[in-house]
Amino acid sequence: MSIMSMNNRISRRKFIKLLGTSAAAGAFLSTSDLMKAYAQNVTTISFRGWGGVEEDAGVRAAIEVFQEENPHIRVEWQHIVADYAMVLLADIAAGTAPDTAFVGSEQYETLRQGGMLLDITDRIRNDPLLGQPGYFFEPQEAARSADADGRWHGIGSCWVAPHIFYNAALFDEAGITPPGFRDDQIWDWDTFVEIAKQLTVDHHGRHPGDAGFDRENIQCWGVNWPLWWIPIAAAVVANGGKFFTEDGLSGLDSPEALEALQRLSDLIYVHHVAPRGAALEGLGMPIAAMLDTNRLAMAVDGSWALAWINPTALTVPMGTGALPKMAQTATYMQAHFHSALAPTRHPEEAWQWVRFLATPFYQTQFLKIGLWLPSQTALLTEEGMAGWLTEGIHPDSHAYFVANYLPKYGVTGRIPPGWPEAATDHIAPAFEALGLGTPAEEVFPDAVRRANEVLRAAQM
Amino acid sequence: MAIWRTDRKAPGLTLVQRRTIIGYIFIAPFILGVILWWLLPAAVAAHLSLHRWNLISPPRFVGLDNFERLFADPLLMQSLHATFIFTIFSVPIGLAFAFFLASLLTTRIRGIAIFRTIYFLPSIVPAVAGAVLWAWIFNTEFGLLNVIVRELGGPRIAWLQDPNWTMAAFIILSTWGVGGTMIIYLAGLQGIPTMYYEAADIDGAGRWAKVRHITLPLMSPIIFFTLILGLIGSMQVFTSAFLITNGGPQNATLFLVLYIYRMAFQSLHMGYAAVLSWLLFFILVVLSLIVFRYFGRRVYYEN
Repeated sequence: MSIMSMNNRISRRKFIKLLGTSAAAGAFLSTSDLMKAYAQNVTTISFRGWGGVEEDAGVRAAIEVFQEENPHIRVEWQHIVADYAMVLLADIAAGTAPDTAFVGSEQYETLRQGGMLLDITDRIRNDPLLGQPGYFFEPQEAARSADADGRWHGIGSCWVAPHIFYNAALFDEAGITPPGFRDDQIWDWDTFVEIAKQLTVDHHGRHPGDAGFDRENIQCWGVNWPLWWIPIAAAVVANGGKFFTEDGLSGLDSPEALEALQRLSDLIYVHHVAPRGAALEGLGMPIAAMLDTNRLAMAVDGSWALAWINPTALTVPMGTGALPKMAQTATYMQAHFHSALAPTRHPEEAWQWVRFLATPFYQTQFLKIGLWLPSQTALLTEEGMAGWLTEGIHPDSHAYFVANYLPKYGVTGRIPPGWPEAATDHIAPAFEALGLGTPAEEVFPDAVRRANEVLRAAQM
Repeated sequence: MAIWRTDRKAPGLTLVQRRTIIGYIFIAPFILGVILWWLLPAAVAAHLSLHRWNLISPPRFVGLDNFERLFADPLLMQSLHATFIFTIFSVPIGLAFAFFLASLLTTRIRGIAIFRTIYFLPSIVPAVAGAVLWAWIFNTEFGLLNVIVRELGGPRIAWLQDPNWTMAAFIILSTWGVGGTMIIYLAGLQGIPTMYYEAADIDGAGRWAKVRHITLPLMSPIIFFTLILGLIGSMQVFTSAFLITNGGPQNATLFLVLYIYRMAFQSLHMGYAAVLSWLLFFILVVLSLIVFRYFGRRVYYEN
């Protein structure tokens, strides 16, 4: 009996050892089998990006079309749901960077400076399609993509820019003509404030400036102008200021910028037409819901918001219009890039994929849902627009907006390296102070000085 | 003591040798963990503190530059201030609240176990869920806290937008997690023999005298232990600040670990972040030593 159990124990141990080693060997062999198969005739490149469900679907559709046209290239999509910048940096540091990736506009210069992005200038110039002059509308495309020597390290995915979304029913009721994008439909600042006042009512139906107006119990606000960097940049450029100067520093301490910033704060604290950040967060309603329930007449938001603030999504009639002009008509535009990363072992295939992303198929998908604005001139012609303008998503003003207003009045630039640090540590707290009512000239000169120290250090 | 027999005739290892090896195998995961996730990263951080590294280009040796920066960094001062204020207030409040709850929960009534569970549950709610919940409680317009404050006649406090009130908000939030400490105190309170209380009753001691002369001294080792843990934990507060205010408003809640995280992964100053991490370590060591020296003497050990 004991001999039998002794035999069993030894053989069981041996059996388990055998099982373990064969499983490990099997796993190893199978992966090497896969690798061998791919090495033979197919190159696989990785493509990393962020985004929600629509971006994920859009990329997968593009990959299918691309792989059909290029059977020897396979694209592996790495969908990063959170902390994109950090995950990308960690992989770069670890040596496992993807071949191609989304590059955020605020990360572009940092990565370029570190030599992490592939120089694709010559490939673009020699490309029969992309190399044509006027393929993208200029001068904005070169302004954001090319460095001081004119070298390109990525291609912009699209454009996005803030503008006004409005509740048309409230305008009708008040008998006011809503804003638009044509030159005669764009208001100057004082007109804008006046109209916002007419649209702001407290619980007793009084407007700002009326006797007995109750600023603590406002039923409907005239406008919401968020105080984060893109809507602020739009206000600054509309007053002739610069958000970033030519030498890659913050321009928020110039008189024009300070005036623009103060005007935004005055909307809240002097004219009482805009809610305080606290009150807005306090209502717990997203902007679309506030427009829909007649609690907000105009919302300044990025053009990407059209994906959820559109005639189909809202129950009230809505429309879009240009930001009011201060010293000039302008809005601030930017977007993320598609780049090939320098450590890639397949630069040709990576370029083919980045190139594909800059051709109409990919951009069209996101134009259709209202998330993006076109950067390719082919999509701005009559026939081009017919291919993506969607009934129920794009208001009537949209065609003029993308084909005429944006190329003429959109302002862009390169975001300098070191901006994420300067913004988080110094500029964002200054925006918060502005939102609490502190005068702009008290907060910004100091904040900009500190931010510029960071930006200068990052340029070295 | 292992006796190693070198004149062994049978093949293989001795029983003692086998047992020793098995022992090492069992503690290997833990030792490996300490080495891989504590010792090695600490050593790498110490090495990094002498370099500039932004994750993209290779590290560059800069000597003591990062250490010099410690003295010229106004945000570091702000961060240390925020962290110390938070610790000084939240730890005593948390411990006192946990002690109070534990004393209540030693009452012998039916169904006391249900109450113990109820008071313990909040401390095991996941951090993100807790953060979202508290963001709503602190909501300026409709948050529960403001409703109560307004009922009592107070103003509408912008808990998470007003830099003057955000710290108070986080201190209130920290009481959410007293469940763990409370359970420890509960165990400690139940370990005190009732004969001491009976003897005190015979001597005519009132309730407060009993607490002062029996409960607190006999609980002092446990209170000391939770004090040290509480201090170390509070100095490292991160998740709630990261999720709710991200260091805002105007850096009022830029706690030290959040500042290190921001410095390393958003501003890409890995070398300076490494220095800050070691700074935190030294602060905690000094703090622990102070607590050991000052409170350690007052701890009463029965044996």
